[in-house]
Amino acid sequence: MAPVVGIGLLVTAWAALSFGAVSVPFDEVLGVLARKIGLDAFADPSRRAEAVVWGIRMPRLLLAFAVGGALALVGGVLQGLLRNDLADPHLLGIGPGAAIGAAIGSAAGGIQGAIAGGVVAGVVTAFAVRRLARTTSIDPTRIILAGVALGAALSAWVGFVVFAADRATVPPIEFWLLGSLTGSTWRALGTSAFFLVVTAVAMLGSAHLLDVMALGEADARHLGIDVDLVRTVLLIAAGAAVGATVGAVGVVAFVGLLVPFVIRRLTGPSHRYLLVAALASGALFVAAADLVARLAIEPVEIPVGLVTAAIGGPVFLWLLTRRDNA
Amino acid sequence: MPEPAVSASSLSYRVGDATLVSDVDFTATRGELIAVIGPNGAGKSTLLNLLSGNLNPSAGQVLLDGNDVAGALPGNLALLRAVLTQRSPIDIPYSAAQVVHMGRFPHRRDPNNSSERDAAAVADAMERTDTTRFAARIFATLSGGERTRVSLARVLAQETPIVFLDEPTTALDVAHQERIMRQAVVLSRGQRAVVVVLHDLNAAAVHADRIVLMHQGAVVARGRPRDVLVEDQLSDVYAQPMVVVDHPFRDCPLVLTA
Repeated sequence: MAPVVGIGLLVTAWAALSFGAVSVPFDEVLGVLARKIGLDAFADPSRRAEAVVWGIRMPRLLLAFAVGGALALVGGVLQGLLRNDLADPHLLGIGPGAAIGAAIGSAAGGIQGAIAGGVVAGVVTAFAVRRLARTTSIDPTRIILAGVALGAALSAWVGFVVFAADRATVPPIEFWLLGSLTGSTWRALGTSAFFLVVTAVAMLGSAHLLDVMALGEADARHLGIDVDLVRTVLLIAAGAAVGATVGAVGVVAFVGLLVPFVIRRLTGPSHRYLLVAALASGALFVAAADLVARLAIEPVEIPVGLVTAAIGGPVFLWLLTRRDNA
Repeated sequence: MPEPAVSASSLSYRVGDATLVSDVDFTATRGELIAVIGPNGAGKSTLLNLLSGNLNPSAGQVLLDGNDVAGALPGNLALLRAVLTQRSPIDIPYSAAQVVHMGRFPHRRDPNNSSERDAAAVADAMERTDTTRFAARIFATLSGGERTRVSLARVLAQETPIVFLDEPTTALDVAHQERIMRQAVVLSRGQRAVVVVLHDLNAAAVHADRIVLMHQGAVVARGRPRDVLVEDQLSDVYAQPMVVVDHPFRDCPLVLTA
């Protein structure tokens, strides 16, 4: 599977850097990249090509990779932590919760304020969801229903914040609830990447703990895992990661559900492989979805969350019905 | 007198107004199999949870190999005692072998441990519990009895000096009940302290070195099977007339309902 994902990432990167309102020939794309690492190779790029490829498309591509990888990783972690393969950061309401904080932060401090606000609100919502999970955990689908209800209510509050805020400084409600990579900048990438890398290290480092926790809380304790500590650390990491993505690009739906679900069929349940593969595949999924969002009905851009939801929604329904029949 | 592996003094556990365990002293020595018996709600499982460090006592103290359980790091506790619970989830997506392998988790930082050592412990544990032939099957697809045996194999693979088993024979047919109890005896003869909560009084009579009889959160009798399994006492505690006779060919009592 690794080679397929690897090739997919390269092809997506090539397409994302080459195509758009202006098409840049491949050797000129390589010329831009070569110049950035101090080499004079491939075609000598025009100034315009350099501005488009490096100034606009590159940060957008990298942000798509970072957001997709983070969301899929968080999905895999939450599914392990809640022992529920329907767990998705946005279906559980963490995304909309983070969006409230991000919208408020955006009014106060631009993109960096949005990411910081998203991180704080994401962590808070993650713990709120955990409380829900504790009271509704008897039936695994009930936590999802509770999360969906929570998410709907929080989404409405995103609307209140956006409409109360200054239109010139806070992005519109479609941005927050449907997601868009349109405004990707190096600054947005840098700020969110800081949070995403730190949280990814924590989550990937806990993979072997999540394996043992599949035995249930009691047996995980018997085997020496400080379950409460692990859960707290992972909820903070998951909430912060989701918040950082929401602050940068809004809510991109269903990535956290769909990607780990598909990957689990391929790698088996061991989190060591599952989480790494989900991260790479999530990066590919969102970058590819963003290509569709950009190029499908040019020159109009579709919010990227619509593309991921159009694919993820039916898969989610299928999952739910399958679970009921099981 | 060797130092006891498990040593608890004046243990109590209260939840709200209810006292689930009341002023219990308990010791278990290496090489010894102790059965904890008593009617439903007597506090057997709560006592086991206190001894294994799952619950913090309202009063009293538990020492495992001389280490105070309160405040012990989970990782250190896992090298001292292994626990078989009644309430493990069944929807575990791992194979039987992978589940047993998780019993090796506490040893992952031990410099004397190795993957060969892990593999040997897993193979041995699965051999003893007769689970080797479904090593590759997914845990969730096993029958109740098979799952119990796989969980027991995981407990064996943990290779701890103290082993707590909470009703290990409940879901099993007679042949596997007997097999599990013999494994418990073998474990204790290998210089481990084994504490088993049992509902089957005759399994306790046949296999236990000592029996602790609980009633309403307190220990009402303890000692050798012949001393504890006494008609009047059992009839009283279980609120059910009981008869105790000699086992036809084993040197132990046999308990029957009257």
